[in-house]
Amino acid sequence: MIRLIAQREFTEFVRDGRLLWAGGIMLLLIVTALGVGWQRQSHLHAERHAAQHLDYEDWLKQDERHPHDAAHQGMHVFKPEPPLSIIDPGIGPYVGSTIWLQAHRQSEVKFRPAQDATGLQRFGTFSAAWLVQILAPLLIIVFGFNAFAGERELGTLRQLMSLGVSSRALLWGKALALAMGIGVLLVPGVVVAAAAVVIESEPGRLLDSALRFLMLGLAYAVYLAITVFVVLAVSARASSSRVALISLLALWIVGVLLAPRVMSDLSRHVYPSPSRTEFASDLSTDLKSEHDKAWREQFGVSTGWGPDLPLSKWGVALQVNDHVGYGVLDRHFGALWDTFEKQQRMQEWAGLLIPVLAVRSLSMGLSGTDFVQHRDFSVAAERQRRVVQDIMSHDLIDHADPLGDRHFAYQADKELWAKVPPFDYQTPSLAVVLRHHWSGFAILSAVLAAAVALALLFVPRRLPL
Amino acid sequence: MLEALNVSKDFGANRALDKVTLRVKPGEIYCLLGANGAGKTTLINLFLDFIEPTSGEVRINGRKVADDPLSTKRDIAYIPEQVMLYGVLSGIENLKYFAALATGERHSREQLLALLTEAGLPEAAADGRVSTYSKGMRQKVGIAIALAKNAKALLLDEPTSGLDPKAASEFSQLLAKARDRGVAVLTTTHDLFHAKQTGTRIGIMKQGRLVADLSSQDLSHTDLETLYLQHMAA
Amino acid sequence: MKARTFWLVFAHEARVLIADRTLPLVLTLFALLIGYAITNGIVEIRARDAAVASILTKQNERNARNIDQLQRINAGIETPAPFSNAADPANVGGGLGGRFAYVPTSALAPMAFGQSDMIPNYYQVTYRSRVNFMYDSEIENPWNLLSGRFDVAFVIVYLLPLFIFAMSYNLLSAEREQGTLRMLLSQPLTLTKLVLAKVSIRAGTILTCAILIPVAALLIFRPETRDAVSLVQLAAWAVLVCAYGLFWFAVAVIANAFSRSSAANALVLVGSWVVLVLIVPVLLNLAVSVASPAPSRTELATQTRLITVDGLRRYQKLFSADYRYSDKPDLLLPKDGRFEVQSRPKAAFMLQRDVEADIQKLLDRFDAQLEGQQSLVDRWGVISPAIIVHEGLAALAGNGSQRYLHFQRQVATFHATWKQFFEPRILESRAMTEADFAAMPTWKWQEETLRRQLSDLSVRAIQILALVLVVAGIGFWRLKKSSAV
Repeated sequence: MIRLIAQREFTEFVRDGRLLWAGGIMLLLIVTALGVGWQRQSHLHAERHAAQHLDYEDWLKQDERHPHDAAHQGMHVFKPEPPLSIIDPGIGPYVGSTIWLQAHRQSEVKFRPAQDATGLQRFGTFSAAWLVQILAPLLIIVFGFNAFAGERELGTLRQLMSLGVSSRALLWGKALALAMGIGVLLVPGVVVAAAAVVIESEPGRLLDSALRFLMLGLAYAVYLAITVFVVLAVSARASSSRVALISLLALWIVGVLLAPRVMSDLSRHVYPSPSRTEFASDLSTDLKSEHDKAWREQFGVSTGWGPDLPLSKWGVALQVNDHVGYGVLDRHFGALWDTFEKQQRMQEWAGLLIPVLAVRSLSMGLSGTDFVQHRDFSVAAERQRRVVQDIMSHDLIDHADPLGDRHFAYQADKELWAKVPPFDYQTPSLAVVLRHHWSGFAILSAVLAAAVALALLFVPRRLPL
Repeated sequence: MLEALNVSKDFGANRALDKVTLRVKPGEIYCLLGANGAGKTTLINLFLDFIEPTSGEVRINGRKVADDPLSTKRDIAYIPEQVMLYGVLSGIENLKYFAALATGERHSREQLLALLTEAGLPEAAADGRVSTYSKGMRQKVGIAIALAKNAKALLLDEPTSGLDPKAASEFSQLLAKARDRGVAVLTTTHDLFHAKQTGTRIGIMKQGRLVADLSSQDLSHTDLETLYLQHMAA
Repeated sequence: MKARTFWLVFAHEARVLIADRTLPLVLTLFALLIGYAITNGIVEIRARDAAVASILTKQNERNARNIDQLQRINAGIETPAPFSNAADPANVGGGLGGRFAYVPTSALAPMAFGQSDMIPNYYQVTYRSRVNFMYDSEIENPWNLLSGRFDVAFVIVYLLPLFIFAMSYNLLSAEREQGTLRMLLSQPLTLTKLVLAKVSIRAGTILTCAILIPVAALLIFRPETRDAVSLVQLAAWAVLVCAYGLFWFAVAVIANAFSRSSAANALVLVGSWVVLVLIVPVLLNLAVSVASPAPSRTELATQTRLITVDGLRRYQKLFSADYRYSDKPDLLLPKDGRFEVQSRPKAAFMLQRDVEADIQKLLDRFDAQLEGQQSLVDRWGVISPAIIVHEGLAALAGNGSQRYLHFQRQVATFHATWKQFFEPRILESRAMTEADFAAMPTWKWQEETLRRQLSDLSVRAIQILALVLVVAGIGFWRLKKSSAV
């Protein structure tokens, strides 16, 4: 019975051209987005991989020079582009990919693609994830707004009920038809995406990628199912198909367009993040006072790098300076990043009302393009910087000039450079991601349950005809 | 007053009207009979300039409709089967709007109430929202619009279908009054009895053609029902 | 008589729209949204102004302290620390005296945030190469950047069309479905006039709302907007918004000119909105980045490193020379107008200077590429009015890409002047004097000329109005041909 209903409904999508036109465009867009994403990911990945390699080679090949100068020149580290960013580039356009690890200060991740783009970038990033999050619900609305309301207007609903079809069977049948409609359109995309992810995954992490891909599929399936049941509920409840359509479109606009921006404002209001000026000046003030304290305690001098401190002590001083700085940097960057995460978490929980927020967060997380994983990279890069600093300062201490008036005259050689390990960054495993994102699944499941309940409520056994 | 001269109308490959010629003089009530899809409403639409004829001419008061539809519309009033009005406004507000559109003048409340009373709408109902009106009440507002316009010709599309017998008879009386004032009336109907009662001429349409055009004299010694069925069967 | 019919329909429509509560509902909701957006804008811009004011205060304090220190040094009261010495040109030209170059907020800044949440509105300019500061970005949660901000431009570009649809998706189809259209057209009234009157009442109310609320809020809460130039800009802003609104009304007229159901109209309209506002800009962004791709930033990082390595090698000797402060503390004091700049700062200066010169060609490529993209956007943006207006509103608010490019070019010039000022002092070991502090280059922002802004804007307005004419032309032509039944 349910299959029969679904089949008839599906035939209607095909016959009235909705599947061909609306669906065809969607299909074309998704495949294009995946193609573009794939090309971008594989290019970036190869380029960064090569650059990372080259950078370390150059580090090792350095001439003899003073370790602190080597540290000043530093090294670059590049964020690997995860394979699933083909589907969802996430915050990618708005965060950088390169960090220059230099002496003294923690650097920001630089080169945001959005800064190399025009103002158009702010309209959104063309990706498969964007299409499924924003446009797929609209497609379901187009397919399903008249599911009940239209049949009621035609009078076929009376006919069906008089035949003894149960209203619930009708609901499941129509849900199945919508799922088929949207499924047919997404299948080619899923195939292309799966192929791309498999090809672009490092062999060792194939399982990780495959699991992420499956879970991503699950997350989107739940998201689209939510839309299906909301659409059917509204269609069953509305007095006419016109009312159904207008209400659904209003819901869509509020859900995907309005609410995310309002929530973003709201989260910023609840967890304010500092401006660059505030952040930089607070950090400098803290660093200075901590440094002054350390210099007083360790060397009994009131100013840093003054004539009172013999040059032979500069190696130790550098180390003291750095180590004091680490804590301050951790505190400030940690607080800033915590604020970002809190802002995001709040928006994720708002996903209970605005599912697009929950699915967006989950999708980025599984794709490896969310803030948690960006932060993980930043932290790893900073760790590498500290490894370099510590090895350099240590060497300076070991080679402190016994005469007391030499520091920069000392030159280290290749042996020292080789002591610094290459930056071998592993993106967080799925387990780490799930620890952060289990709530996304919980939220989506809860919303799905609510949507089904709503549909059942609005499609009672005795359907209003 | 109302003239259709050799008028044809095609909708794509489908010929809805085929060389129809018909005249309605002042003081005449012309009833058009015919099955659904025979072309009765198409003919009415032509007089209203809702559609253009494929060939032939449609004239009102001697002027070609196609030349200046706005001025020919000033002479006619149209009452469809369902007089549709703005549900959120009251009867009198609807009348005020349409009357002003039709005549370019603003009517006082007294004038409007008088028109509604003349059309048979109880004064108490005039200020109620039209969404609460029955079909007959809405039709009375439609008649009031025609009265306000002081139209020289009336175009009626199935005016009595779905009216209760009392309302239908009231409507017939109003038509008779209009006829006596010299108004030309063209009405389509399925109701043979009503046609025989009120009509001064009767036309029968079939598949876009006018197959019979009977004067009231002809009618007096013919059984309309038999005639109608003969034509339908042919 | 003719004009009267128009006003008759106009007044009647007003009554119906009020009676069925469409007008109060739509206008209230829209007023709330745009009111929220402009409040957001005003609050944000105040914070930004305050931030700039605070760094300027800090800079002035710092400058005063430096001069103060210099006086004490010259008076022989103070022996400064090596890296915060106001007599040392390498210190002052570096972090100690570095000047902030900032872009002030425009009068209309609260209208559109544009790129301002991403690109910093100030840089600290020192003798160090631009590579060190030009890639900074404003601190903002990337998630929020992705979501976009709720500013007036958002309400206009995205929401205004939807509100216009809510008022007019069933402009004619409702009358058709109710059957009142037949009643109306049996009166001496043309479809064109009916539609014009219906559009007028709707456009009149919502566009008044869209323009009046933000403009009034700005005039009240942002006194900067009360001068002649800003008033001209506000007028231009209103023209742009009106033209954009009319475009969507014209689209609604087309949809209604085909005798389809209200539901079909709603679908067609939302479909056109999805295409023009959501999809086309995103696709154009993609197309533009393919047609004029950004040079690789990874490549830039690699090149920067290689150039730096080269420089380090070149100045190896200077870098290896030690500071001699411990045995000769006198070196920290100026003597007869001279200050012995140590080899390392000298080397650092020359290294930075060389890196800058070598990297310039690469940086120019980025600038050229971004300008190339921008000109493509300007040329092709005409395929969607949303793009024209989005860019236009950001430009009017002074937060558009163009003004930031203009800013960055000025920073580059200022940076060059700054280095020029310090180069002889550092390399020839001239001590800083009080006169030097007075003569140091100061940042002066050169605003884009109003004429340039207006010519840019009139192009946009003409583009949209041309689109309006085309679309409305099709709509009314189609109306003439469509029948009432």
